[in-house]
Amino acid sequence: MAAVPAIDAAPRRRRLPTSLIVGTGLLGAILLLAVLGPLLSPYDLDAMRIDLRLAPPSAAHWLGTDEFGRDVASRVLNGAQSSLLMGFGATAVSLAIGVPLGLVAGYYRGWTDEVIMRAVDVMISLPPIILGLLILSVTTPSLWKTVLAVGFVYVPIMTRLTRSVTLEVATEEYIQAARARVESGWYILFREILPNAWPPIIVESALRVTFAMLLAAALSFLGLGVQPPASDWGLMIAEARPFVTQAPWIVGGAGTALCVTVIAINLFGDGLREALDPRLSRRR
Amino acid sequence: MADLALNVRGLSVSYGSDGDRVRVLHDVDMQVARGRALGIVGESGSGKSTAALAVLGLLDKGAAIDAGQVLVDGRDLYAATAEERRRLRGGKVSIVFQDPFTTLNPAIRVGRQIAEPLMMHRGMNAAQAEAETLRLLTEVGIADPARMAASYPHQLSGGMKQRALIASALGCDPDLLILDEPTTALDVTIEAQILDLLEELRRTRALSILFISHNLGVVSRICDDICVLYAGRVVEQGPTRTVLSQPRHPYTKGLLASLPSLSVERRRLEAIPGRLPDQRQPQPGCIFAARCHFAQARCTAEPQALADAGNGTRNRCWRSEELQDTPWRVEAGASVERRPPAVDAPTVVDARGVARHFRSGSFIDALSLRWQGWRPAVAYRPHGVRAVDDVNLTIRAGEIVGLVGESGSGKTTLGRCLIDLVSPTAGDIRIDGQSLLAASRGAKRALLRNAQIIFQNPDSSLNPRMTVAQIVGRPLDQIGASGTDRDRRVRELLDLVRLGAGYADRYPHQMSGGEKQRVGIARALATRPKFIVCDEAVSALDVSVQASVLNLLLDLRDAFGLAYLFITHDLSVVSYVADRICVMRHGKLVEEGATASILGAPQHPYTTALLAAVPRVRLAEAPVRPTA
Repeated sequence: MAAVPAIDAAPRRRRLPTSLIVGTGLLGAILLLAVLGPLLSPYDLDAMRIDLRLAPPSAAHWLGTDEFGRDVASRVLNGAQSSLLMGFGATAVSLAIGVPLGLVAGYYRGWTDEVIMRAVDVMISLPPIILGLLILSVTTPSLWKTVLAVGFVYVPIMTRLTRSVTLEVATEEYIQAARARVESGWYILFREILPNAWPPIIVESALRVTFAMLLAAALSFLGLGVQPPASDWGLMIAEARPFVTQAPWIVGGAGTALCVTVIAINLFGDGLREALDPRLSRRR
Repeated sequence: MADLALNVRGLSVSYGSDGDRVRVLHDVDMQVARGRALGIVGESGSGKSTAALAVLGLLDKGAAIDAGQVLVDGRDLYAATAEERRRLRGGKVSIVFQDPFTTLNPAIRVGRQIAEPLMMHRGMNAAQAEAETLRLLTEVGIADPARMAASYPHQLSGGMKQRALIASALGCDPDLLILDEPTTALDVTIEAQILDLLEELRRTRALSILFISHNLGVVSRICDDICVLYAGRVVEQGPTRTVLSQPRHPYTKGLLASLPSLSVERRRLEAIPGRLPDQRQPQPGCIFAARCHFAQARCTAEPQALADAGNGTRNRCWRSEELQDTPWRVEAGASVERRPPAVDAPTVVDARGVARHFRSGSFIDALSLRWQGWRPAVAYRPHGVRAVDDVNLTIRAGEIVGLVGESGSGKTTLGRCLIDLVSPTAGDIRIDGQSLLAASRGAKRALLRNAQIIFQNPDSSLNPRMTVAQIVGRPLDQIGASGTDRDRRVRELLDLVRLGAGYADRYPHQMSGGEKQRVGIARALATRPKFIVCDEAVSALDVSVQASVLNLLLDLRDAFGLAYLFITHDLSVVSYVADRICVMRHGKLVEEGATASILGAPQHPYTTALLAAVPRVRLAEAPVRPTA
């Protein structure tokens, strides 16, 4: 009998990555502000003060006022809900459609792959705005439809990414081992492949959330998303663009909110990737 | 001292950042006398590649020389200025890396890749460099150098690429050639050719060689001297013949005892238990003590110094003289006899006329459009290769059939056809008498419980996101085991492959290669199969670990009457393990017979060539001496 190698220290309990803790904290704070926003805001979101148009930040108006004399701080707080909904909702939609398509295309290959990927190519060949417009203009605009439309626009990216990771993972011998046990396609795709394909998908999703907020803003700007006078970060940035030299605080307020959210999401995504990967657990 | 091409003195190298440094070479001494060849052997993690890079001054940024000197041609490489060092490296030392498939740039013609350094280092103009390139290619045995120079790397075979890389390394007329596992990625017949070439070059050019390998057979063929590295320390060094015929250090003894040799005689392999020590932890005593069969209290207390053994060799073991004639023997009492399968054992696998053709290119590429008059006609015409071509194979219960062949011979495809990972284009496969190809999905699942597979690469064969218990338990879930029954059987399986229940909660990255391979075996055994395809199942493992896995596979066969199809490129392994050997070439079985008769009297010329090419640890004859 070969001697059994001594079992060294049992696998240690894993420490959560710092980026996950910070990211979750920030994201939690942002979500809390978004929920409580309407209650916390000092002014009504569409109360106009003609005498205080484009006023710089002051004790009364912390972030100044916009071109109609509306309080920027109140509008940023009120806009959080729709912005976050756009970002996360659209990304969730693109994940829900794109990831399964990519898994199927990358694992089954052959004509299934050809059909899915050629369809995706057609979608990619249309500019995102046009595709969004196409979807929205045939129906009456609403927040949920914008979320769906923006999510749909990002399906090709998720599909292609997932497919490329799947192609790589599918060559691993543990997938062969699963096939040798005659596992179902569902088990192989979602239990064996997906957990190993997550890392790049998570990173991409964190990026997509931001792009989705901006695309939704562009659509809103064209009148197909959030309807004025409702507030939305993307829409605020787009509308304040002409005044950026005169009144940088409008873009600054909404932009900072967007930035912090993006950083929070990226930290969260990075930390999640690390926490999910048993190989990356801290050893010290 | 004598005229030394390379003199490494007390070299210590460590990797990592300040708080977390790991020392990978400890006080390494080695000398290559002019015109001689020194072989560095060691298993993975021994530090042999780091040693090669340190000699070239090519260590990564994270590595630091903590102590010691590297003298190339008498000059200190690390005391030299950057310019001097570059000149030493360009003019005196060259290296050939392991993998000829990735070392050449695929987008540049081979000739230019050889000519470039000639123009850079030797100041040649384009015409001179071209002429020199052709001369070098002729020197490394290329019949048509002009055509070779005009080729792109993908147009060349692995052996040809390695020749081109050797030509390139010779370009700057080095005194010292470093070869880092130069033949590991090549087939055995090609390996023999490259080794012949190296011997020839050594003679004609009076080259000094530093040869790094894990393969004792290859080293014993090429090298005058040998240096055995373990965990970053030289444990034994001396003339190759003396070290291999009278090993003094227990580790060298263990390595030799775990090496399967190409012979009909069947002794049980002796493995080295345990694994490489964690180099982050300081080791007060002998580095090998934890795995050493002969270890005593003094071994773990005192570090061992390299001491003369009196026969021209040096080693790091204070007991070496006392144990001089004691062989490495771990498994005292284990059965040495191996049971041949019963003559009337039932047939487990019966493959008739199996063929598999692969089409190349995509589905769309295989469609061809033609016009018949004014009507278009689309035809489906795939191009393809015949990976397996009309093969008949039967395997009886308890029988181990070795399937050997070089890369591209179709042996892996055949193995995968037998367990339905690849569907054959033609033929019939019966497992336990039932046809696999005609079976419905449910019936297939039931059939394949009897036929499983063990893979080559322990890093790839286990899902990195699952624990050992999940991996081994999954086949049990499929047959409806649950709760305590399932846990109990997982534990039994882990005990069976000698891992123990303590491994259940580990992830693959927390285990060594040999341990992972045992988990792979446990997974294959979970459904109590009668037949297992071992696809290069021990090829990725170090010799000492390979021996213990081979022993395990043989014990399992004896205990459960398992049948194996043992696919490998390594004839020594197959001759050790198999009852019957099939030789495969270009998709066909060219020879089949009992192990003894294949080894003793091969009929097919290809089998003869394969057997002749196997490098052995040769003790009877001296390595070739340089004449110059």
